[in-house]
Amino acid sequence: MIITNVETVPGKKIVAHFGLVSGNTIRAKHVGRDLMASLKNLVGGELKAYTQLLSESRRQAVERMTAQAQQLGANAIVNVRFSTSSVAQGAAELYAYGTAVRVE
Amino acid sequence: MYDLLLILGLIALGYFSGTWVEKRHYRSIIQRETELLPLPAVTFKTMDYAPETIAGSRMVTGSAVISIDYFKRFLASLRNIFGGTVKSYESLLDRARREALLRMKAEARDADIILNVRIETASIGRTAHRRSVGCLEAVAYGTAVRLKKTSAAP
Amino acid sequence: MKYIPRRPKTNVNVTPASPLRELLILTGGLAAITVGVYLLLGLVVDWVAPRLSGDLERKLGVVFTRTLDIAPDSSQNRKWAQGLADRIQARCVNLPYQFKIHINPSKKVNALAFPGGNIVVCQGLLDQVASENELAFVLCHEMGHYAHQDHLRGLGRTMILMAMATLIFGQDSGVADFLIQSIGLAELNFSRQQETEADEFGLQTLHCFYGHVGGSTDFFAKISADHNPGRWGHYFSTHPANERRIARLKSLARELGYDVAPVKTLPAFLNVQQ
Repeated sequence: MIITNVETVPGKKIVAHFGLVSGNTIRAKHVGRDLMASLKNLVGGELKAYTQLLSESRRQAVERMTAQAQQLGANAIVNVRFSTSSVAQGAAELYAYGTAVRVE
Repeated sequence: MYDLLLILGLIALGYFSGTWVEKRHYRSIIQRETELLPLPAVTFKTMDYAPETIAGSRMVTGSAVISIDYFKRFLASLRNIFGGTVKSYESLLDRARREALLRMKAEARDADIILNVRIETASIGRTAHRRSVGCLEAVAYGTAVRLKKTSAAP
Repeated sequence: MKYIPRRPKTNVNVTPASPLRELLILTGGLAAITVGVYLLLGLVVDWVAPRLSGDLERKLGVVFTRTLDIAPDSSQNRKWAQGLADRIQARCVNLPYQFKIHINPSKKVNALAFPGGNIVVCQGLLDQVASENELAFVLCHEMGHYAHQDHLRGLGRTMILMAMATLIFGQDSGVADFLIQSIGLAELNFSRQQETEADEFGLQTLHCFYGHVGGSTDFFAKISADHNPGRWGHYFSTHPANERRIARLKSLARELGYDVAPVKTLPAFLNVQQ
């Protein structure tokens, strides 16, 4: 599955599109990470646990979007956008959406 | 003791009413999606339309505010301790966004395609005060393009 | 490009899990962790309490007496009670504390031991006692709590658990309140076992001081069922428990060969109300 965030897949021709596809994920951290983060707040530096949490969320969101595109019969997703919001305390929510297309 | 019973009562109420409302909403969503399927919504900005075939274009929006019931909130706070996917909120977000998209499409029934669709989500309500139940707002907006009615397909 | 309208077969964005099952699993896990931590805490506190330095305990005692509502040191009741406690301690009690008696003007019938050698007796209790021996038994019972370091254990466990709940869940979380209410951390409770052991100590000390155990059970026999347990613990919780206490004290007295003799009356200034 080719994923791009420009309008086309460079070097290929889009022959058909299937409309919007999206993938959504919401993950929470556990108390261990929370405590470590509060401690890190005092000394500064990268919060590796949170970085890992967010990249996991991103990966899962894109995975779900890909799965939905595959169900429609597409082989590429173009013009992908990410959106995030805070809906729950201490949870990272990520939404990825794009247009499923068939390229040749 | 009464506080505990109250909390349990709210959770039970949230579960039963929430499940029923959710099922009903999903049925409505699926029915309307099937109905509006011929109208595509895409995220790219340009389509290969010749300028003379375009009749008009305008921006269309659709939004929905869905509230979070106590049961889902309780599950989310438990999930916060152990970590992992907050499954109870997934259906909520899914419903809100699909509803927003459907409303946007409904506003553009006469159009042939909706371009550059963007979806934004916000959490509104008294989110600062943890005890209360908040709401989720999803907004979908795009440009609806109407084509001149000719015999040739685009 | 042409548009191919199709619907996806499944909804990828929602995990098909039953929310009830998830609730059961999560609350079960939480309950297991809470119970485990509580038990572990019990062990830790039991290990720490005897090793707590006398100096730290004295400081804790100062904090407590500052927050309590007590009558001034100069009151006649307090001086008399303190004198009685000093005489008991000098003759029969060998503990590394200097007991200080405080009188709380509340009308509740209650007495409690606080860290640092402080024993608080409520005015209501003073009004109820009919003889010096009864009050002496109450004081010896409280000293018994000290002998077994009950005050530190009860206090330690409660406060540590409250602190942990607040730390993990945050101050405003519903889960913290839920847990605190179900564990019932609002009151300091001495367990039945601790009360029984303190009773035994009290009985033995009473015998040592007076030579007999007259007056030890008079007190419990007087307390009726409609007495409010009060905020500070269940010194007199329920009627059947009092009866069990009386029976226990009597059987213990028989075991140890103590006998009953006439009791000493109270000084007039205590204004005893029957």
